[in-house]
Amino acid sequence: MKIAITEHKGVKVFGLSGDVDMYSSPELRKELLSLVGKKAPMLLIDFREVSYIDSSGIATLVEGLRGMMSHGGKLKLLGIPERIVEIFSFSKLDKVFDICGTLDDAFKG
Amino acid sequence: MVVTVPSDPQYLCVVREVTAKMGQMHGLGEETVEQIRLAVDEACANVIKYAYRGNADKQIVVRYHVDPERFEVVIEDSGIKADPGAVMGRKLEDVRPGGLGIHFIKRCFDVFEFDARKKIGNRLRLVRYLKESNEDRNNGT
Repeated sequence: MKIAITEHKGVKVFGLSGDVDMYSSPELRKELLSLVGKKAPMLLIDFREVSYIDSSGIATLVEGLRGMMSHGGKLKLLGIPERIVEIFSFSKLDKVFDICGTLDDAFKG
Repeated sequence: MVVTVPSDPQYLCVVREVTAKMGQMHGLGEETVEQIRLAVDEACANVIKYAYRGNADKQIVVRYHVDPERFEVVIEDSGIKADPGAVMGRKLEDVRPGGLGIHFIKRCFDVFEFDARKKIGNRLRLVRYLKESNEDRNNGT
C-alpha cells in the first residue's frame, strides 16, 4: 500500500493504492489518526487505486471516522471499487460512511 | 496443494494470491474468488494475531483440497489453542473497530471447525460446498 496525501479545495486527500491489509493498515492508522487529531472539518480517502482491503483496514477507517465525528468533522470515502463496496455493504458500513463516486461529489452537501 | 508461510503479516499477500489462483483454476466465479480470498486471509491473520500473538517467526500451513463438490482449506498453526466457543465477531450493527474478520470467514464457508484431535496448536477446517450455484448463493437466493 502507498499513501499519497494531497490537498483539494483546502481538504486533505488520502490517496491510497495497493492492498490495505494487516501488514499495511498500521501505517494507514498512524497517518490517518495524525491528521484526524488536527481536527480538520473534512478528510477524504481516495480508494480508486485500492486493490484489496481486509477487516484490519476497515477497522482503521472506523477508528478514523469515530475520531472525526468526535469533533464534528466528516470522513468521506471516494471512488471505492465495486468489489470493495460489497465488503462495506455486507458489513453495513455503507450506511455509516459517506461514500462518494467522484471528487466533485465529495464537495456536494 | 500446500503453502507454508511465516507468521508475518507481509506474507499474507502470498496466501491471498495462491487462494485466488486456486479458485480461478477451479472455475469459481469472480465474486466467489474474492470472498474466498478475503476469508482465508482473515483466518491466517487471526492465526498471527491470536494463536501467535504477533510473533512473526512461526509458521502457518495452508492446505487446499478442491473437487467438483467442495473447496476446502485447512489452516494449521502451532500457537495458542483457540476456544471455538469464543470465536465470534461483533454484531454488524455495532459499529466499532474490529470483530469483522470472523463474519467474512463464516459468510463464505459452510464449514468452520477446529479439529479437536490436534494436540498442539490449531487446525481450522473451512469448506465451501460448490454444488449450489455460486451466483445463487451470492444473490442470496
